Amino acid sequence: MQHFVLEQALNYLIDQGGVNLGALNGKVLHFALEDLALDVNFICTNNRIFVTTDATTAIDVDIKLKSSVFLALLQGEDLTELLRQDKIIIHGDVKTAQLLVDLLQQIDIDLEEVLSKYIGDIFAHQAGKLGKTFKKSKNSIEALKDELTTLLVAPSKSNLFKDKGI
Amino acid sequence: MDKTTHFGFKDVVTDDKQSLVRGVFDSVASKYDLMNDVLSFGAHRLWKRYTIASSNVKVGDKVLDLAGGTGDLAIKFRKKVGDSGQVILSDINAAMLGEGRKNLINNGVFGVEFIQLNAQNIPFADNTFDCVSIAFGLRNITDKDQALAEMHRILKPGGCLLILEFSKTDSELLKKFYDFYSFSVMPKLGGIIANDEDSYQYLAESIRKHPDQETLKTMVLDAGFSFCEYHNLSGGIVALHKGIKV
Repeated sequence: MQHFVLEQALNYLIDQGGVNLGALNGKVLHFALEDLALDVNFICTNNRIFVTTDATTAIDVDIKLKSSVFLALLQGEDLTELLRQDKIIIHGDVKTAQLLVDLLQQIDIDLEEVLSKYIGDIFAHQAGKLGKTFKKSKNSIEALKDELTTLLVAPSKSNLFKDKGI
Repeated sequence: MDKTTHFGFKDVVTDDKQSLVRGVFDSVASKYDLMNDVLSFGAHRLWKRYTIASSNVKVGDKVLDLAGGTGDLAIKFRKKVGDSGQVILSDINAAMLGEGRKNLINNGVFGVEFIQLNAQNIPFADNTFDCVSIAFGLRNITDKDQALAEMHRILKPGGCLLILEFSKTDSELLKKFYDFYSFSVMPKLGGIIANDEDSYQYLAESIRKHPDQETLKTMVLDAGFSFCEYHNLSGGIVALHKGIKV
């Protein structure tokens, strides 16, 4: 579901005219967070981005990093500096990777509003909370995991309450 | 000796399948939407909504909906592409297209074009469409590989193929319930509501003969698509395959 949310958010951004995909057009970028189950391909084509988990074809750029580094990137950390510190591994063209990072840094939209059109208000509210957590939280990883759990496997949330008396 | 293919659980001469399928849809066309709502408990609307949301279709895009029948997807695509875009609703069956036309008018949707065509021989030039969709239609096509190759041909580079189709569930419990429901309840309901038990027996059988998720994914990739992934819906009873031509 994460890649569906990501795809919707990125294409919303493109539709709003905030992004020129020209330089990324025709590129396939693999992006993996090593400590979270986020492993996706960004296929940039036809002035839109498809986010898939399929790994059956050649990629142009391979980006691997830890989630804490990703959050630092989203909060404006310089890619070159992170590369210098070996906190991010990039195989392929660094300029193309930089373009993707620039794009991800621009995801500052109300995911809730975008998604409610497609998936209903309650689900969108959960996704929106996820997006905001991603962008703002200082100790983001635990909060992110918690929100992902809520979003993806809502029933497991009931475990939080099962031992609590009325 | 004549080549054979399956029509539900029966083996039939390949050349006969198309007319047999036509007979099924001629028979159920007028009750098709009602039966979809009843048999899926309304879930088909959610499956289609998810399909549209996954399409990445934008204002100005050209979309071809194959086996589009009563036009559920076409209505939604029309809203997404706007006046500068183009949506073509197609079906091999004239009765289904007729129902689609009525449905669009009843929904106040105009500007959708209609064409009766066979998905194995699509009469459009190469690299024409941004999106091609087919919902609950692929399993009725005699030569699925040829149809997929055609879909690949008419898509632009960067175009997206969406296949929404019944599939296979991994859950043993769900499978048992689904088998009982498909073979014991669905045909009876088809008899009561659409006055056609045989067509809904065919529906249940054709679902079982349709390739599973992984097999269909391989077929999509073999047709030339650079990427294909699928999303199981309702526990795998239905799957959305999304292929991208790069």
